[in-house]
Amino acid sequence: MAIETLVLGAGQEVGKSCVVVTINAKRIMFDCGMHMGYLDHRRYPDFTRISPSRDLNSALSCIIITHFHLDHVGALAYFTEVLGYNGPVYMTYPTKALAPLMLEDYRKVMVDRRGEEELFSSDQIAECMKKVIAVDLRQTVQVEKDLQIRAYYAGHVIGAAMFYAKVGDAEMVYTGDYNMTPDRHLGAAQIDRLRLDLLITESTYATTIRDSRYAREREFLKAVHKCVSCGGKVLIPTFALGRAQELCILLEDYWERMNLKVPIYFSAGLTIQANAYYKMLIRWTRQKIKDTYSKHNAFDFKNVQKFERSMIDAPGPCVLFATPGMLSGGFSVEVFKHWAVSENNLVSLPGYCVPGTIGHKLMSDKHDKVDLDPNTKIDVRCQIHQLAFSPHTDSKGIMDLVNFLSPKHVILVHGEKHKMASLKEKIHSELGIQCYDPANNETVTIPSANYVYAETSDTFIRSCLSPNFTFQKCSSVDLCNSTTVDRNLMPELQVEDERVAEGVLVLEKGKKAKIVHQDELLLMLEEQKHDA
Amino acid sequence: MAEQNDTSEQPLSLRTLCTMRSLLLHPSTPQHTVSSILETLARSPSHHALKLLSDAAALRPDLALSPPLLPSPQRLAVEALAISLTRLNLDDTRFASLCFGASVPVRAWMLRNAGAEFEVRHGLLLGVLLGFTKDPFPHVRASALEGLVGFCERGGESKDVGLVDACYRRAVRLLRDVDPSVRFSAVRVVASWGLMLAASNSDMKAYWSNDIFAKLCSMARDMNMKVRVEAFSGLRKMEMVSEDLLLQSLSKRVSGHGKQKETLGQRTSEQFVMLATNVAGALVHGLEDEFFEVRKSVCESLRTLTSLSSEFARKALDSLMDVLNDESEVVRLQSLETLHHMAINGRLKLLEKHLHMFLGALVDNNWDVRYTDRKILKVVKLNYLTLFKSSVDSLLGSLDSYPQDEADVFSTFSHLGRNHKKFVSLIIKDMFEEVETALEGNVEFNSARIAALLILSISAALLNADVGRIPPVMFSYAVTFLGRIYNAFSDIMDRDALLACLCEKSRSTEYSATNINPGEGEQQFPLFEGDAPNFASNEVIGSKIDSHITREQKEVANDQVEQQQSVYNEVTNLINYILAKLPDMWPRIQSGHTNEVLRSLRCLKELTTMKFDSLGSGDADALAFTLLYLRIIELLAEVWNNLLPAKGLCYQGIGKLEFKLGKLDRRVKELMSRFIGFSAEEELNVLELMLLTYTLRISKEEISCINHTLKRLSSLYLRVESILKESSALPSNFLVELGKVLSSTSINGASCSPLQFEACLKFFSLKQFVFHGPIKHVKAELSVPNIDFEHPLPFVSGLPVGIQCEITLHNILSESRLWLRMTLDDGFIQYFFLDLDCSEGSEEVRKCTFVAPFYRTAEADCLILKVCIGSECLFENVSPVQRFGGPKRELVLLCNEKQVYLSKVSKA
Repeated sequence: MAIETLVLGAGQEVGKSCVVVTINAKRIMFDCGMHMGYLDHRRYPDFTRISPSRDLNSALSCIIITHFHLDHVGALAYFTEVLGYNGPVYMTYPTKALAPLMLEDYRKVMVDRRGEEELFSSDQIAECMKKVIAVDLRQTVQVEKDLQIRAYYAGHVIGAAMFYAKVGDAEMVYTGDYNMTPDRHLGAAQIDRLRLDLLITESTYATTIRDSRYAREREFLKAVHKCVSCGGKVLIPTFALGRAQELCILLEDYWERMNLKVPIYFSAGLTIQANAYYKMLIRWTRQKIKDTYSKHNAFDFKNVQKFERSMIDAPGPCVLFATPGMLSGGFSVEVFKHWAVSENNLVSLPGYCVPGTIGHKLMSDKHDKVDLDPNTKIDVRCQIHQLAFSPHTDSKGIMDLVNFLSPKHVILVHGEKHKMASLKEKIHSELGIQCYDPANNETVTIPSANYVYAETSDTFIRSCLSPNFTFQKCSSVDLCNSTTVDRNLMPELQVEDERVAEGVLVLEKGKKAKIVHQDELLLMLEEQKHDA
Repeated sequence: MAEQNDTSEQPLSLRTLCTMRSLLLHPSTPQHTVSSILETLARSPSHHALKLLSDAAALRPDLALSPPLLPSPQRLAVEALAISLTRLNLDDTRFASLCFGASVPVRAWMLRNAGAEFEVRHGLLLGVLLGFTKDPFPHVRASALEGLVGFCERGGESKDVGLVDACYRRAVRLLRDVDPSVRFSAVRVVASWGLMLAASNSDMKAYWSNDIFAKLCSMARDMNMKVRVEAFSGLRKMEMVSEDLLLQSLSKRVSGHGKQKETLGQRTSEQFVMLATNVAGALVHGLEDEFFEVRKSVCESLRTLTSLSSEFARKALDSLMDVLNDESEVVRLQSLETLHHMAINGRLKLLEKHLHMFLGALVDNNWDVRYTDRKILKVVKLNYLTLFKSSVDSLLGSLDSYPQDEADVFSTFSHLGRNHKKFVSLIIKDMFEEVETALEGNVEFNSARIAALLILSISAALLNADVGRIPPVMFSYAVTFLGRIYNAFSDIMDRDALLACLCEKSRSTEYSATNINPGEGEQQFPLFEGDAPNFASNEVIGSKIDSHITREQKEVANDQVEQQQSVYNEVTNLINYILAKLPDMWPRIQSGHTNEVLRSLRCLKELTTMKFDSLGSGDADALAFTLLYLRIIELLAEVWNNLLPAKGLCYQGIGKLEFKLGKLDRRVKELMSRFIGFSAEEELNVLELMLLTYTLRISKEEISCINHTLKRLSSLYLRVESILKESSALPSNFLVELGKVLSSTSINGASCSPLQFEACLKFFSLKQFVFHGPIKHVKAELSVPNIDFEHPLPFVSGLPVGIQCEITLHNILSESRLWLRMTLDDGFIQYFFLDLDCSEGSEEVRKCTFVAPFYRTAEADCLILKVCIGSECLFENVSPVQRFGGPKRELVLLCNEKQVYLSKVSKA
């Protein structure tokens, strides 16, 4: 039996994650994302490759969505409503709650602001969500006979999950995006030690090794504290979900400890509403928040107030979380225009900024003059603080996960080409695991475990139940070429338990395979001789 | 019961077991019921039954649990349990048969408890445990591993290195087990057995320690929280780890081979390459773990690890500082505790970049955090002035935010000042100005802040004679805050001593900043009769002193007497200053405030020593004199306490009093004969003390033989009289009264009345010893070369043995009569006269080598002889304590007793 992996998106790139895995005629589509960088046909995966007959319902057993980011869920409404897929879609409860919000938000931006042709309507989003079956963490779902899936906590964003799938004896895990280090509001990825044939993992930071999260937090707090204690204003442009909550928890905690009274504002829009979601989805956050929420819900921000447009020019220090992130337009840019001109103020950019945004320009070396549009130039005098926060695991984390799971094969997706190649080499050389980094629309086929079921004799069962270990002295020859040999001159004491090895597999014509105890075998042979 | 016997093949229901349990534990259950219950249980294979039996055995030791009825393994299991719980030896074969029996729960139970509970032959026990680590059942594997841990924790040791090695390797393999509970136990075995393995071979210890460290670190990314906690707590036991591995555990990036130091040797660096990926960043991962249990465990382990390498401590500090931002209070506190531990070990090297976090904790909302942070500040050594300044500023800031912390903040300032004298002197100017403006101007001032600044300023110089650049007036200011600040110094001196110290310092004129040149000694240190602080009521007098001090300061400043001040003057002034305090204490001694006086005296002694230390030039003779004098007053105070009518002289007290009086007697004699160069006035003072001592002895007639003491007293009195005549000084009341009593008492003592002498005591008052000139300390140094405990001097019993003594004598007058005293354990004393003519050198220092014969070499394998040098008390003209061939007068010892080891020459 083989596992066939067709990479429709996020192969040697970041965006439109979509992988179709075929095991023993079962086909699972992991993620159904869109690429934010393209506006033409390239923004969706090439779904035609799934089935030449275009009959998606018979071609796919199910769709699994790992989390609500658009590059993982963006094409779902299109796929179900426009292309007409009617099969089951699995995602976690928080993803089911938040994905329609993201899709709707995106639709609005596309249609209302940019005036593009809409790819799917609000109704279609609602229809699409009706097909979704929500799953819980570590809940095993029997999708079809012989197909089981199970979700594991992945960190990254609220509700993100890694999915385990088992078809027959073949087992695999698709990680989606995950984070191996916890942040202030989400925990670290958690999974059991499984016997996997295949692990498909993201590799956004295939070569980066990040230093301690503490150091980043310290720098952030120091910069913010310094700015507000000098009477300055701090602008933190973020997207509604995730980073805003994380940083706000961090600031709240610090404010609390240091008895600071400077106001923290959330700009109107998604953010306050998002906090309400977080409050409901407390079970998907990190341990500390889960432990203490009955006393104090960490998302009940004491110091946070709503920000009004009129407050932009109000005097006095403050901290403002404003959407959207990366200073890509909207309210955050509006505030930026007002605040950037004073050297007392601080703009803190948490995480990556896409080229073309003001955030990206600020992060580059020359940022004293920024062109908003051909008519507006801003003289940037404020301090810029860049934060290397990221909800993705770094290369060390990927290696650690691969090492922990020790699968037979690894496929890398969701990363940059040359970096993936280097990580692939590393996994192969350091862990000795076969690794692949297919490009989009390529298929990787790997063999999988196939167990033969055999009957067993009673004697063998009995012998298996009773312990039967022996000790052996053997000198380990394989280490003798090392200079550390002197310790190996002494024979090593090893313990062996032979009880399973005492079984003998007997395959007779026309009969099922059977395992008998070695002592029985002689008897059987004698019997046969006798019969003959 | 019959029913149960019938169904014994089926497991007993929990309900039945409960009933059985109550029956078993009830003391009045008939014996036959108990036996049938036991029988039933014995046939039941469930581990509930085992548990019940073990409970029963523990709670009812009187139960007879051993009738062997059935030979089945279950039967044996029960029996074995019962026996083991009564702490008897478990038969090896029974143990083995239980473990290999068909019941898996029994097996697991046995294995888990085997290591810690049973007295089975180690070889067998470990063999069985090791074997079962290969079991297909995860919980049996885990139990076997736990058994191994239990064995280790009980202090078990295996001599078989091969076996230890095998256990360790097996556990290392099981670190990658599928089952978390097996991994958990495997981590524990790796930590405990690994250390055993490392200890078994000192050559390989470093190698194995590194290996254990790496194996434990490799579990830092395990997905199970308990496994991670256990892995990090395992690190706590590490005794050595190579520095490069330690550093690697703080960095997620694997450092390349090229960076290896040449000196590490090939083996270590090869090992490093092998282990580095396992170790990389393990501690960082641990510190940013999702679970506080893990983070706390890492912080705790860092205590041990930072003590292994200073370079590592330096790097780990960065991480630990970041932990101060942790969301969990427990973790923040633990990291502070670890920092404190590092500070105590001198491993805490704070840098500028740490300050934001470290000092931020001073204004933390949590009291414990603030307190622990200050605890660190009290002991840490700051290396840069900027660090010191920032710390001071932050502490002052925290005082504003948390006025309730004042006491501890003050105490922190006091420690901070004492630990950083140099830095204090660098910022003293600013502090002085601030205090000055605050106290003298009419501006509203923050008194807590001023008090804190004062503490900081004075603390540096308090224990130091050299006040450096600290303006003396600061000490005067501090006096006005005494009530508020004295607690900050409670660890080194009490309120009285602090006041004394402050008063003294405020008179100091070493303040160079105002260009006051020191004047004549007398002017600087007026022998202030009456203004020495009253030790009872500080507050009122404190302010009086204050005004006095400021006035005096101005006078001195006006004087501007330019004169070189010799060290000698300084010493004289110092001694007189100290001795001047004593007469004021006398009324308090008389009124029974002994403890208070003793405390003040102790402080004075400390002060004296410190002052002399700081003077540097080291007039050791004067120091010896002052200390001895203080000691005498101390003894006098103690003796007087016993004489007070209120206390009475209870029967048990006599021995103690006699002892103290004996001590006082010896000390006073020492004062008289071990110092030369007294002026008449000085001698008179000493003689009066001596007379007082004798009078004390006589007044307690039970204590000594009056006649002898009376003779000595009379002869001394004659000497006093002659001095008085020559010096034209007026005799004290005490002397006058004593003279009257003596004249009415016949020398043979027949009509001597102790009561009369006791009456004289009332007239005694302590006069100030006014120290005038240089005095010399008579002392001797004695050494017996080449002989010590390991190289005793050989002797043949019955024959004399010669002990070679090298002697150095200081300030010995030529008329002195010196003796070498040799004392045996049994009290036998032999004297040997030292002829000064044989010695070389001047009066000041003489050197000589004698071979002193010791005659009484007894029949013993070894002897310990105590040898020392004594001088006859020449001032005593009393009929001598005649001993054959020995000194004619009492001896005053000039050096410490020296032990000489003798051992008999063996006949071989």
